[in-house]
Amino acid sequence: MSKLVLFLLACAAWAQDPRQIMVDVQKRQTSTSQRYEGTLEVLGGGNKIATKSWVFIRSGAFGNSKSRIQFLTPADVKGVGMLIVNHPDKASDQWMWRPNIGRDQRIALQDRSTRFFGTDFSFEDLEERDVDQYDFKLLGEENGTWKIESRPRKKSQYTLSYFWVRKDNLTFQKVEAHDQKGLVRVIDYKDYAQIGGILTARTTEVFDVRRNSRTILKYSKLEYNVPVRDDDFTLQALRRGL
Amino acid sequence: MIAAALATLLVAQTIEQRGFVEMRALAYPQAAKGDSGRLVGDALLRWEADVNATPWLRVSAAFDARTDTHRQVARDFSIDTDGRNLQRPAFSLRRLSATLHRGKFTAEFGRQFIRWGKADILNPTDRFSPKDYLSSVVDTDFLGVQAARITYESGADSIDVVWQPRFTPSRTPLLKQRWTVLPTDLAGVQLRDDGARYPGGSQYGIRWNHVTSAYEYSLSYFEGRQNLPSFDGTLLQAFPPAAAIARTYPRLRMVGADAAVPLPWFTVKAEAAHFGSATPDAQEYVLYVAQIERFVREWSFVGGYAGSVTTRPAMYPYQFAADRGVAKSFVGRAGLTIDANRSMAIEAAIRARGSFLRYEYAHAVGQHWRTTLGAAWIRGNMDDFLGQYRRNSYASVAIRYSF
Repeated sequence: MSKLVLFLLACAAWAQDPRQIMVDVQKRQTSTSQRYEGTLEVLGGGNKIATKSWVFIRSGAFGNSKSRIQFLTPADVKGVGMLIVNHPDKASDQWMWRPNIGRDQRIALQDRSTRFFGTDFSFEDLEERDVDQYDFKLLGEENGTWKIESRPRKKSQYTLSYFWVRKDNLTFQKVEAHDQKGLVRVIDYKDYAQIGGILTARTTEVFDVRRNSRTILKYSKLEYNVPVRDDDFTLQALRRGL
Repeated sequence: MIAAALATLLVAQTIEQRGFVEMRALAYPQAAKGDSGRLVGDALLRWEADVNATPWLRVSAAFDARTDTHRQVARDFSIDTDGRNLQRPAFSLRRLSATLHRGKFTAEFGRQFIRWGKADILNPTDRFSPKDYLSSVVDTDFLGVQAARITYESGADSIDVVWQPRFTPSRTPLLKQRWTVLPTDLAGVQLRDDGARYPGGSQYGIRWNHVTSAYEYSLSYFEGRQNLPSFDGTLLQAFPPAAAIARTYPRLRMVGADAAVPLPWFTVKAEAAHFGSATPDAQEYVLYVAQIERFVREWSFVGGYAGSVTTRPAMYPYQFAADRGVAKSFVGRAGLTIDANRSMAIEAAIRARGSFLRYEYAHAVGQHWRTTLGAAWIRGNMDDFLGQYRRNSYASVAIRYSF
């Protein structure tokens, strides 16, 4: 009996290991590939000031994947592309393609805090970082969520982030990202639905606190484990377009 | 190949397209010698389409239709396909190419845009990108070239082989307009423009590019022609003096390299090339660029130095050497994305005897409309490439409807 109690206590302790929680979140979202079309509404001071859309494809497991974004609208940014090569042990490599100048451009690590084409996402927000690139601390429980602090081990624009993870389904509810001066961005994940067996947020809302600007990304035509080719994730593929 | 590409375009079920209509007005506060026009208007319709005919074949086309108030655009209805007109064509097939892709190979055939190099302020290795300098030497557009380009990409390496069977020159300012400033020793000479003597033969180039997480670099080689002209003069009569001038394009052999290295505080980019020539009287020189680049939240900064070293002087007294003309300069550019719809940029080039400063503010309204306000301020001495255009400072406004 005492062994059973000890085992249950160990399980409880294991379940509340913040790193393990994040690993479980990551596992539940695992897919070999992904594709969606995203519509982005940028709101400044509460008023909608721009609508953009892009198509996104990803190949590989979270944190060790390659992904591409290619803008569909508005017309003057149509074709602008982004190639992101994520690495499990370091920050991603990123290149941007601008069809109007016909050249790719590397986005250096120190430039990743730049906003991505007028949205409230920064270049860094578009990359995936494996749990092993962070130190985690469980801060407590709030309204059915675990509040977890994460601090990056590698260079990042953020000094720390707070994640709210729902206990019932191990999905992200909210992220607050801070730099040395304080809160930078608040990211809300909403409108969850089962898609291809994966519980998926169909809306991501990013609030840039200092600019009082908000971008709402809505996902459509979202599919997992779709056939993609390795050669869709190269600099030449950026030039060819989707 | 072009006919086949066009046929594919016409029978395709779905066409991805985009384009814009732009009306632009430029105001020059000062009249220039031989060109008293101070207000120039132009209109441009650009339509671009891409068709994914099969998973391995993509056909791309771009068409321009334009007109203006200053006779910089030809007044005829022929469709330009090779970029050889002295005036801008009223109708131009800017691009028509077929891109084939299989595994590690990508091949593009037809009129296309090919960009080499990594620097932003000057690209010495960018040899398949003639420019349109006709209405400004400080704000230019690229011209497409008829070429076959095959790229092999494997892991961190790619090799780009380009063969251009037909030469495309850069488009230079018209002889009797403000962006052509005649040398003082030609003052009083009646000039007849005999056009251009385009070279026959083909051009080719090869570029190896290596990309890693820590750095990227390229080595490139080009054998062909200088796309910027030298002017060959023939004396027609001594009294009163009259001469005929024709554009010629010296042979050119370029060996170049470029690199980009992200450092903790900024990215360093460098590009250099040596230009040799089998044409006996042509200049031989080295062009190089070193720049640093940094993005900070909504700001982008690029600054550096573009230099040149002449290894063999030219015997031609008259050249339109826009590439060397902006060398020996400190060049800087700053851009600010104010919000999703507004942006501004400022660019400056400063050299010993000439300089320019250019400002641009763009404001988008809704999904389709964009207004761009600009101004360029050019200063310097008449013996300087930039300084000779000191009466060409301008303000501009452009309204664009994108679709």
